[in-house]
Amino acid sequence: MVHFLARRSNLRSQILRQTPKICAFLFSSKSNPQNTQNFPPYYHKTRESNFQESTFLFGNAIPLLNFSGYSTNLIKNAKLSSGYDQGLVFSSGVRFFATQATAPATSDGLTVEGIVASPWPILDEDEGDWKSHASAVAQSIHLIKKRLQWKKLLVRLDLLSVELNKPNLWDDPVHAGKISREHGSLMGKVKEVMDFEQELIEHIDMLKLAREENDSELESETMNALLRMRRDSKERELEAMLAGEHDSASCYIEVQAGAGGTESNDWASMVMEMYKSWAQRRGYRVTLVDEMPGEMAGIKRATIKVDGKYAYGYAKAEVGVHRLVRISPFDSAKRRHTSFAAVAVIPILKDVSTRVQIKESDLRIDRYRAGGAGGQSVNTTDSAVRITHIPTGIVATCQNERSQHQNKATAMAVLQSRVDQLEIARQAQMNSQHTESLTEISWGNQIRSYVLQPYQMVKDSRTNYEVSDPESVLDGDLDGFILSFLSASVDKHGNSL
Amino acid sequence: MKVSSTFLTPFSSTFPLISSILQNHRKPNYIPFRRYSCVTSSSSSSSSSSSSSSSSVTPISHKPQIPLFLRPPIYSTTQPDLHNFITWAKTLASSIGSTFVQIDDGPDSTLLLRELNWFLDDAVEDPLDISHGRSGTSAKRVGLRASLDEMYKLWGSRIQERRPFQYVVGCEHWRDLVLSVEEGVLIPRPETGKIVNLAEEGLKEGGVWADLGTGSGALAIAISRVLGKNGRVLATDLSPVAVSVASYNVERYGLQDSIKVKQGSWFEPLKEFEGQLAGVVSNPPYIPSEDISGLQAEVGKHEPILALDGGVEGLDDLFHLCTRMSIMLKPGGFFVFETNGEKQCKILADYLENVTGNCFRDVTIISDFAGIMRFVTGYRI
Repeated sequence: MVHFLARRSNLRSQILRQTPKICAFLFSSKSNPQNTQNFPPYYHKTRESNFQESTFLFGNAIPLLNFSGYSTNLIKNAKLSSGYDQGLVFSSGVRFFATQATAPATSDGLTVEGIVASPWPILDEDEGDWKSHASAVAQSIHLIKKRLQWKKLLVRLDLLSVELNKPNLWDDPVHAGKISREHGSLMGKVKEVMDFEQELIEHIDMLKLAREENDSELESETMNALLRMRRDSKERELEAMLAGEHDSASCYIEVQAGAGGTESNDWASMVMEMYKSWAQRRGYRVTLVDEMPGEMAGIKRATIKVDGKYAYGYAKAEVGVHRLVRISPFDSAKRRHTSFAAVAVIPILKDVSTRVQIKESDLRIDRYRAGGAGGQSVNTTDSAVRITHIPTGIVATCQNERSQHQNKATAMAVLQSRVDQLEIARQAQMNSQHTESLTEISWGNQIRSYVLQPYQMVKDSRTNYEVSDPESVLDGDLDGFILSFLSASVDKHGNSL
Repeated sequence: MKVSSTFLTPFSSTFPLISSILQNHRKPNYIPFRRYSCVTSSSSSSSSSSSSSSSSVTPISHKPQIPLFLRPPIYSTTQPDLHNFITWAKTLASSIGSTFVQIDDGPDSTLLLRELNWFLDDAVEDPLDISHGRSGTSAKRVGLRASLDEMYKLWGSRIQERRPFQYVVGCEHWRDLVLSVEEGVLIPRPETGKIVNLAEEGLKEGGVWADLGTGSGALAIAISRVLGKNGRVLATDLSPVAVSVASYNVERYGLQDSIKVKQGSWFEPLKEFEGQLAGVVSNPPYIPSEDISGLQAEVGKHEPILALDGGVEGLDDLFHLCTRMSIMLKPGGFFVFETNGEKQCKILADYLENVTGNCFRDVTIISDFAGIMRFVTGYRI
């Protein structure tokens, strides 16, 4: 026991000495709280108990252990530094990634790219081959980097670092805040990937060492760590798809029924229910904002607010026209009907400074008015409010809150997000596919078909992803569609980083 | 109430015909009441008149009801039973269609379904249980703030008796406040909120303000929150139920030190403040007596007649307030009254400018958000 502890710690300090930049980097950067969860918790625990044992056994090893530490411990310390300092720390610290970064390598020079290029087979998880695990993780890292557009990202980060180093940066605090926020967010992403890469390399070294030493305990511990990395890497691949500027925001989802009366109103309400249960499954908070019911059944249109991280990033994949084919329960002749519902998704921008300033004088506010005399003669709980932004013609209504005050506040929030969305679309027309509003969506071009009769199928026409169980999809099991669309749209650009 | 017992059975698949429910509403069963005269009323005679119009003789120590959403979740049921309730309640609400609209401009199904959502928000401890109703397992208990039986009764009373939704849940969301209300207290209307905006300018000056006929305490609380430490509010009401509910609301907003709620008719409990009031606000009863029988069932059948009926022209109490105001307001003092509409506004404005003998200046008529002339404002010279 004593024997490998000493060995292990020596090896670790050696690895970290090889890459001093990473060491400094770990100390100075803010750590995303998620990070610590991504590190194998068991591994960490056993290590701590080992430390205690080793302290007991031979005191002189402590400084070495403490110095070399392990990335998990360092990250814990790093968490203490606040996000606000981050820009300042980095403006004088390590920064130029595109030009200076060297990929971490094992003691015998193996890198992540090397593993990706190698002919190591990727077997099932339970085959328990370390090369297979390592190769799978390396592939994931490669994919994550591709999704993040790694080289572009590093260049951008360098540009931002140059900006941050300018002495007159804070002359324009709004600009400075923007730069420093973007730098912080990119930095977090880069660091996360580099940590992950480093961890993989360390485990490979450790495993080789264990083999050389015939240390089966260390070998199985390392194998388990590799397996956990492999599982963890799938989640990270997903997150890398949501790297867009507003992807982490909450959002509004709007559904509007196509022409066709009751059957199509019913379809619109089915679509809305599908999103409500999808959002609830993902742990998002759902609130109904605005709803215009159909005459007989269903809805003509409705808006819900979906609160939670990445709500917009995922939901944006649903923008477009959804088509239903079924025998209509509203048709006494039992004929097959085709109906359409349009879906729009609007991000709720978190950064107040990037929001459009709306002038009070540009608004027209209409309130629900009770018929007749009003005042004491009428008691209604209807306090609907409609707000029109005169310059853009954008309208927002709300009637689901219990006071006029609240309805006005909620409608105003929706209006603000719609006006913001229009501005986003204007600023980035190339990337406007996800920011279409309901009125701009072309009815002829559906993104997905739901066929209930004569056969059962849901098929996405953008990705060709399909399932034969419409019931589960309508119950909110949408992740397959969303993820296949997101990965298709993120991964389509070539194979380079 | 034979009808209601079958009606309220959770698992009964048939509902009584709507027309049978509605018949009840065609013949209003108002309790006859004696009008009291504001000018001559002493507190003893006025409390006797109030007791005749409220459901029972209420002692001064009326205990205010706790709104549904504030009650502890001590009841529980299963997911399927909750789901059955929701299905029943939805069916009941949907069956109304636009029937009530046609009868007396009452609520339609859409609005009733919206109210049902709010009702569930208030009654069910964890909102997730409402949406999971269908897929939930029977093993999990759902926390409730009223027993399922009571929920059936409450929702039944909303539709069947047309009991106002705000009485069903025991609260009204008004401006940015959530006020406790119950039978015997007028439910504050959205229009009345504008009084607070109209008084804003005057409120900057601080001082002692009066809210006459405070009801739930809505205006007193809203005004006090604008005044802050700058002044005090005196709220009066003839009805002991209103006094206790207003006091409860005042306490809920932690304003006991800023608002004094007094029982009595209009200015009567405020004699010591003669000539000292910086402002007066009031939403007195203003509906002409002959219009009472045609009111929407939620109002006419359930809300306190004491707070609605303003005498033959609907102006009895407004005139009384205008007359007394010249004595009570200090020079420069501000006032706002709510009225029934254009006709009353014009009569009052004329009265204040020409009849009271140059006591008031800048008498102005202001419309509500629906464009109906609703408020009369002005200053004591």
